Amino acid sequence: MAWSVTVDRDRCIGSGMCIVYAPGTFAHDAEAKAVVLDPSTDDLAAVRTAVEGCPTGALQLTEEGE
Amino acid sequence: MTDLKALDRDRIRTLFDLRTGSNAWSGGDFIDDPHPIWRRLRERAPVHEGTLHRLTGYPGEALFHGLPYPESPHFTVFSLEACEGIYRDPELFASSPNAGDPRHSGVESSMLMMGGAEHRRYRGLVQPSFVPSKVRWWMTNWIEETVQLLIDGFVDDGRAELNVDLCAAIPVLTITGSFGVPVEQALDIREALRDPQQVEALIAPIVAARREAPEDDLISVLVEAEYVDDDGVTHRLTDAEIHTFAYLLLAAGSGTTWKQMGITLATLLNRPELLARIRDDRDLVRAAIEESTRWEPTDPMFSRWVTRDVDLHGVHVPKGSVVHIAIGAANRDPARWDDPDDFDVDRPLKPSLAFGSGPHVCLGMHVARAEMTTALNALLDRLPNLRLDPDAEPPQVIGLYERGAMDIPVMWG
Ligand code: HEM
Ligand code: SF4
Repeated sequence: MAWSVTVDRDRCIGSGMCIVYAPGTFAHDAEAKAVVLDPSTDDLAAVRTAVEGCPTGALQLTEEGE
Repeated sequence: MTDLKALDRDRIRTLFDLRTGSNAWSGGDFIDDPHPIWRRLRERAPVHEGTLHRLTGYPGEALFHGLPYPESPHFTVFSLEACEGIYRDPELFASSPNAGDPRHSGVESSMLMMGGAEHRRYRGLVQPSFVPSKVRWWMTNWIEETVQLLIDGFVDDGRAELNVDLCAAIPVLTITGSFGVPVEQALDIREALRDPQQVEALIAPIVAARREAPEDDLISVLVEAEYVDDDGVTHRLTDAEIHTFAYLLLAAGSGTTWKQMGITLATLLNRPELLARIRDDRDLVRAAIEESTRWEPTDPMFSRWVTRDVDLHGVHVPKGSVVHIAIGAANRDPARWDDPDDFDVDRPLKPSLAFGSGPHVCLGMHVARAEMTTALNALLDRLPNLRLDPDAEPPQVIGLYERGAMDIPVMWG
């Protein structure tokens, strides 16, 4: 299934929760804001967990098709 | 070179006894298992009127975040969904009763109590030193050496009491080490936690020295940090702001990690077969630590202050109320975890509220995890056949607002 994820930089506080759950998808830039790695090496379940775990709701996941 | 001989065991024992001193104020004499009570409350309704300790049946008064505010109505929230909803709405549920008032001292004036843009600004200054990619920096500079030296201190004895000899000492030495405080003074600092002024006196000379010549440590990060205010003017932190930061890190990072490490070790030592599995498969160390923080979070409650009248899952909560977020109950909500009362390292990894959520989510969570991981791996590497001392009482987890293990008597070889 195709999916994509975006980071709202204003909401992101740099907690690193997303990196705990999906280290193959997220990293931090120098300001400790999350950035999305492309391509991702995590499975979709891990990315979903990261999105669910983001403490500030800064991550938006879009899943397309079946 | 560090010499941990400077640490006085008896002094550690007094400072880190859940039943005495400041630890007792948070309900240190509570010895029952609160989870069955919390489960019944959560099953009955997500939101209840009253403080968590009163709802739990604790007869006395207890002090913690959000207590006591005798003038304010209190409500406690038990379901994961309701707790997360509160954490993620910081405007309605503020981290301080007096946002905007003149500041108090110590933790009261720290970013823990701030809101909105002000909180983001201060947190942004330290967050880069606490991200996962900085864990290596913490491990090689402070954590690994501390853990090995502490184990050196008892490895030839054949037995130890891990709660004091290891768990209590690692977190305080990690933080004071990152400040550049010598080991001889580390316990002075822990003892001074009751009095921010005294902590300041111990930190001030280091701040002054790092302003002259920065080193590779946390105080140097703070003296060099710059932020831009609303008018676009760049500032550096004042000495007072640095003292407040240092005080918050000590207050938030030393007791919590001590108690969570004790809970983790006690839980595993009480399950020898699981401990043997983990010894042989170190990938499970991470799962065990995550499960420990979910299953028995050391601080099972944090508070928020309600900024306008709100209907919370059918309960009317007036402006000015204190809401207790029952992390310990939410972390066992079957909505997210199957058989939530089981300690199960094989369950799928899912986010819990052990480190809070929302913009105030724990700053030190990756450092805390690194301390616990390093300690558990080192124990398993260096103490063959590590097990509970069969002649002593098995370790027990006690406490209400600050849960932790009592003595953890072990032997090996
Ligand atoms: C296992 C150990 C730990 C646990 C369970 C824990 C838990 C928590 C929780 C639940 C909060 C949120 C408080 C709230 O909701 O108001 C918090 C905040 C915080 N923690 Fe931790 N913590 C731990 C270790 C640490 C360590 C090692 C440090 C520092 C080195 C630290 C520093 C902080 C700070 C500075 C905050 C306030 C963040 C803010 O207001 O933005 N914690 N912690
Ligand atoms: S979990 Fe959310 S707040 Fe934390 S770093 Fe990732 S995007 Fe930012």
